[in-house]
Amino acid sequence: MASTVIGAGITVEGEITTEEDLVVAGTVRGKVSAKEAVTIEHGATVEADVVGGSLVVAGALTGNVTVHERVDLQAGARVIGNVKASRVTIADGALLKGNVDMEV
Amino acid sequence: MTLGGACTTFGRQPMAQARTIPRGSDSGDARIGSGARVRGRIHGEGDLVVEGQVEGSLSIRGDLTIAEGASVVSELVEAQSISIVGSLEGDVAASGSVRLAASARVRGNLRGSAVSIEEGARFAGKLDCEFDLPPELGGASRAESRGRTAARR
Repeated sequence: MASTVIGAGITVEGEITTEEDLVVAGTVRGKVSAKEAVTIEHGATVEADVVGGSLVVAGALTGNVTVHERVDLQAGARVIGNVKASRVTIADGALLKGNVDMEV
Repeated sequence: MTLGGACTTFGRQPMAQARTIPRGSDSGDARIGSGARVRGRIHGEGDLVVEGQVEGSLSIRGDLTIAEGASVVSELVEAQSISIVGSLEGDVAASGSVRLAASARVRGNLRGSAVSIEEGARFAGKLDCEFDLPPELGGASRAESRGRTAARR
């Protein structure tokens, strides 16, 4: 169960900080910081730097990503920004423009 | 905690892959969880439940619930109907009804088509509620009150 959900019709301009999970189906501009999993759903738009425990992207993300655990870019994802995580998967059909840093 | 995070990620993958229903049924699903804090502007369509903290403006076309334990500091909160169980500092403008539950703490002006304040709720502010006075309460200003009602329509 996701703790914070930004629904498909909702736009947040500002800063979201959470100790729990975050699911974005709408639009977020600003800054995102979550202790647990962040999910950017298909159809969602995020223009923000994202800090999280883990990240799944199926929508559009513009911003730098710093994740403690893993990042999964699913088919249909569009990511513009640098990705820093210990594990990164990029599915066939996902777009990424930026650097990947797997802390090697 | 680390393992739990990974499991959650995997568990959600099929859902994230599934097409998000554009608006309507899905847009009703918005929630600021109890561990979350949002600073800035929230607007759009759909219902919203706030369980955490919100600082900034809040304007939605949908119903808003400020749940128990939630805290909202906002210059203006706009929504269709607004239900307050937690605490709110700021003005409220609802196109529908405004409800202050027993545990509500509100400082600000309330405007809505109907306002209800339960026993135990704390409220400091002005009430602006559009309704027609029943004729027996009209008293001396009866004619005037009726005139205004007519003018509004």
